[in-house]
Amino acid sequence: MREATDPFTFELFKNAMFSIADEMALTICRTTYSSVLRDNMDFSTAFADANGKLVAQGLTLPGHLGSIPTALDTVVERFGERMVPGDVFIMNDPFDGGMHLPDIFIFKPLFAEGRRLAFAATICHHTDVGGRVAGSNASDSTEIYAEGLRIAPMYMYKAGEKNDTLFSFIEKNVRVPVRVFGDLRAQLAACHIAEKQFGELVTKYGAGTVERYMQEIIDYAERLTRAAIAELPDGKVSFEDWIDDDGIDVGKPIRLFVTMEKRGDSMLVDWTGTNPQVKGAINNTLSFTKAASYCAIRSILPAGIPNNEGVFRVIKVTAPPGTVANGVLPAACAARGLTGFRMVDCAFGALAMLVPNRVFAASDGGNTGISIGGYDKKRKPFIYVDFACGTWGGRPWADGLSGNSNMFANMASQPIEVVEAEQPMRILSYELVADREGAGKFRGGFPYRREYQFLEEEGTMQVRSDRKVFRPYGLYGGLPGQPSLNLFNPGKNDEQVLTSKFTMNIKQGDVLRHELAGGGGWGDPLQRDPARVMADVRNGFVSQERARNIYGVVLDTGNWSVDEAATRRQRADIAAQRPKTPDICWEEPKGSVRAAE
Amino acid sequence: MASYRVGVDIGGTFTDIVFMDADGRILVKKISSSVDNYARAISEGLLEMFRDTGLTGKSVEEVRHGTTVASNAILELKGAKTGLITTAGFRDVLEIRTLRMPRLYDIAWEKPTPLVDRYLRQVVDERMDVNGQVLRSLDKASAERAVDALLKEGVDAIAVCLINSFANPAHELALKEIVRKKAPDLPCCISFEVLPEIKEYERTSTTVINTYIMPIVATYVASLKQDLNKIGVSAQLLLMQSNGGLTTAESAERLPCHIIESGPAAGVVGAQALAEKVGIKDVVSFDMGGTTAKASLIEDGQVTRSAEYQVGSGIMIGSRLMTGNGYSLKVPAIDLAEVGAGGGSIVWIDAGGAMQVGPHSAGAKPGPLCYDQGGTEPTITDANVVLGYINPDYLCGGEVKLKSDIATRVFKKTVADPLKVELAQAAYGAHQIAASNMIRAIKAVSSERGRDPRSYALFAFGGNGPLFAAGMAAALGMKRVVLPPSPGLFSAFGLLYSDVEHHYSRTFRRLTREADLTELNGTWDRMAQEALAQLASEGFSDQRARVVRSAQMHYQGQIYELTVPVPAGPLDRKALAALDEAFGREHELTYGHRAGPEEPVEIVNIQVVGQGIPDRPRVPESIAVGRRGTTVTPKPRKAFFGAKHGWVDAPILIDRAELKGPRQGPLIIEEYDATAIVPPGATASLDRYGNVLIELG
Repeated sequence: MREATDPFTFELFKNAMFSIADEMALTICRTTYSSVLRDNMDFSTAFADANGKLVAQGLTLPGHLGSIPTALDTVVERFGERMVPGDVFIMNDPFDGGMHLPDIFIFKPLFAEGRRLAFAATICHHTDVGGRVAGSNASDSTEIYAEGLRIAPMYMYKAGEKNDTLFSFIEKNVRVPVRVFGDLRAQLAACHIAEKQFGELVTKYGAGTVERYMQEIIDYAERLTRAAIAELPDGKVSFEDWIDDDGIDVGKPIRLFVTMEKRGDSMLVDWTGTNPQVKGAINNTLSFTKAASYCAIRSILPAGIPNNEGVFRVIKVTAPPGTVANGVLPAACAARGLTGFRMVDCAFGALAMLVPNRVFAASDGGNTGISIGGYDKKRKPFIYVDFACGTWGGRPWADGLSGNSNMFANMASQPIEVVEAEQPMRILSYELVADREGAGKFRGGFPYRREYQFLEEEGTMQVRSDRKVFRPYGLYGGLPGQPSLNLFNPGKNDEQVLTSKFTMNIKQGDVLRHELAGGGGWGDPLQRDPARVMADVRNGFVSQERARNIYGVVLDTGNWSVDEAATRRQRADIAAQRPKTPDICWEEPKGSVRAAE
Repeated sequence: MASYRVGVDIGGTFTDIVFMDADGRILVKKISSSVDNYARAISEGLLEMFRDTGLTGKSVEEVRHGTTVASNAILELKGAKTGLITTAGFRDVLEIRTLRMPRLYDIAWEKPTPLVDRYLRQVVDERMDVNGQVLRSLDKASAERAVDALLKEGVDAIAVCLINSFANPAHELALKEIVRKKAPDLPCCISFEVLPEIKEYERTSTTVINTYIMPIVATYVASLKQDLNKIGVSAQLLLMQSNGGLTTAESAERLPCHIIESGPAAGVVGAQALAEKVGIKDVVSFDMGGTTAKASLIEDGQVTRSAEYQVGSGIMIGSRLMTGNGYSLKVPAIDLAEVGAGGGSIVWIDAGGAMQVGPHSAGAKPGPLCYDQGGTEPTITDANVVLGYINPDYLCGGEVKLKSDIATRVFKKTVADPLKVELAQAAYGAHQIAASNMIRAIKAVSSERGRDPRSYALFAFGGNGPLFAAGMAAALGMKRVVLPPSPGLFSAFGLLYSDVEHHYSRTFRRLTREADLTELNGTWDRMAQEALAQLASEGFSDQRARVVRSAQMHYQGQIYELTVPVPAGPLDRKALAALDEAFGREHELTYGHRAGPEEPVEIVNIQVVGQGIPDRPRVPESIAVGRRGTTVTPKPRKAFFGAKHGWVDAPILIDRAELKGPRQGPLIIEEYDATAIVPPGATASLDRYGNVLIELG
């Protein structure tokens, strides 16, 4: 501990800082107008020190860890000397520290005793920021100029005075200004709450003490992170995985490649070898690549490490400019979420070789984004944005979860009844799909299906999904999960299997059935406890045929018992024939397996 | 003969009984819970009480009861084998939940096991739209098939929750009728009758919980009534609800989802009532029993309620943003943070050689080592015995004998020796770790919500609260601790301080500017009538029945609602405009901003609370607790207060009335139902309401 910090005051101060960041997050969550914020929690709130170093993050979305300092850097660089109380800054440009255009950052410098002490920071994914497709997150734009309004770092308020020019630009360039303004108001309110409560802390402790303890919180996180990293074995590991395609060059896979080097108490994550940036809008900014890397590594570290600069000092992340891991102008990046999720999978794959007993097999590949927009009869715009994810890979000690948020985004699903009350949509089904899991000693989770019916006269539907070709990998003998599916108008004359990324016009009554990919399995399915297989069959998750053919378990479903003799024989038979089985990887993981055609 | 109201609170370890007459004369009794049949301890305890005092069943005018029978059934997954019928396409709403998990980056996270396995979840062909229009009629054949399948599996109860049924219950009612025809005695709950509110997961989960515990609660209430009758008690039985109000046994059997957190709620209501009497408005209530410790915030004299909570979620780890830890229950409840720490918490050493306390508990049976009921693992109570905090020979004024030598021997062998430390040091370490675990619960309701615990008083009760309160308050920088009379039975007192209350809520989703006044007033009136009828059936009519209305509202497009009080009487356009304005003000107060008048405001749920007004004030002007147990003051005994103070001779008081003026610690106040520790450096005094006040230096 630094001089003149005592452990009890430190504990109280730390709790106070994080509690303010959480309070800010609650304010946004409870007052927002957009489902992306309220349900997907696609926002974050934070405190940074006077130089923009992250002290406390009210973390609601792991995808945002690391994004705030990057964005704040450009603001400090440009306005640092001139800032005065009452200033509020805004920005969203990915090539000026942002992530993708819908993510609007708002920063408020906080002053006391005549100097800048800290920043209150918020970042929210807005429903729409203009551009060619409603929702501003199309995966098939090929340059950022099509994606919407770019806001360079600028004043939102200057010494308390509103920048009317900015507001009128926003109003003219977005489809739903009422919602966007409502959410900007929520962001501002969160900053005000932070300012008020931070002011109380300063009154209580004095500016000097507050500055000292903010640095101590960063040091504390660094110490905890170093201690935790030091516990891991030293080593250098690499992993390769593939994204199906970018939606423009359909069928052309995109390579992700990561090398992790752990030495002593630090960690280097290097994305060299990853595909050059692509035409489709799935190029990451470096900040998002960092967040993906932190997400995987933090998941194998003990809980309780504060999210701040201290973590970044220990885990260094690099990616060459001009790759999908670090796009440069004019890379389109609106749908870069997809790449982030897939990078988390890839980073986990590398960790699986460093610490095999602490990492799960691949999850569903992250969230599928579905945007449906258009105008009703009165030319009033509507935008429906939904994100779907929810399947974990099998773990070295337990099955993968079914119907649980991806590690990278602790999102909630939108209640069906609320969607139907608010949107010209009907949800025809929302349930788990049998036989889609990656088999294993500990199987992957079952994916869910969500079926969307469109009720307005006409509109545009845009879907960003993946893992249709490259299936979620299994680990250590576990099988890959089954691929995702986009099926248009199931059971009708024009039924059609769609690609993983597309934009299309739809009309009243059209239906999209989306099924997530199944989670990868962990360990040999023939070693799975037959009682667990039986429970899955009884619950309708696994068919009897699959139990017999893949798990080698023979059941008597009359009185729900395992035929142990037949199971032994069946398992021996499968083991004997195994090398002929096409889609099983029996070696150490190398990445995803291409779906059998 | 005097007539008494009786409060009975059942915890995991003890059953507490309190008698109170109109003048505030109090009689108390504490006995071990009968875990195999919780009701038995009540009649046995009452009988003992009658024997001790010469009272009879006729002296009892009302029995008010808080029970953990419902929450235990959920936590231990021992509820009814429940079947669930849902709309085709939505079989897994219960299992998928909201997708959200309570912690980020936790690869070991496990979702709570669904209360209904998938093979007991059947679907029927039907569909309503969100406005209650039938899109597909209920297919009779699929309905029969679903019910038959569940009956064939031998379910004990059936829950029904169909998509959009909050807007039109016709199909749910039809299913209920089919179940009734096929299995007339089988409990069947439809979601419309449990929670007619929008959001399918919350409604399904609440309905399933209600169904899951219904048979257990019914059996329990029946057996309790029978037992009471046997001992001549024919008074009305009222049960405490999670929201802090009482309800009749009949109503609780129908909607047991309201009584799940009944014991903890009673304690908080009691703390609020008594603190108000003493003139303290900002209080952290802290209740520590044998298995868990719970904290709640009372701010400006009001208990805090949440509209929704998760059963079995334990302490909220991290922050309020994170949910998903337990079973979602959307009924109003007193807002509590809970941690698995109590007198029965087991002290153990983990694989890394570190001392751990809990979350496992020795419970009532076998209980701590010193109870000598077959316990083999050291507990926090044993640590307190070793430290000299608890009388080494007995509890409850001599009614429960202790064997401190077993505690000492086993504690030394399994804890102190492996850690290579002195016995006292090990016991003190266990005491401190338990305290730090419980401090998390207090932080969860105070500092983690931006409230500085130092400006609150710690109101501590429960059998173990007074043992830990002063030490915890000191660690948190809190200046004042309040220990109410009979702290060990305080939740039972809380029951006596509560009023009958019924909460009703319905989704009525309309923009205020477009709402049809006739429809709105009509719906509200029907709910008020329902509340008044319920109150009348419980003997509250005319002036003694009060209906309070509120609306949950938001700006159109928002998902969280704020609750706004609604004045009595029919609403006209002007009243609705006033409601808009009240909502805007509340929004600004809570979040610091509001939208302009052009933004439409939407009512989401309309609510009614029916309150039964008691015929006399619930907290008497003076409280006189009948003394029980030993009258022999033990000699001062050595108690250990850490390395700084070491073993110190601590004077013992067996009655707080002996505190004639302020006294410095160390001091041990060893009363019938709880032992209070006043550590060195602290000062204890007695106020005129019988509270021990501990001021910390």
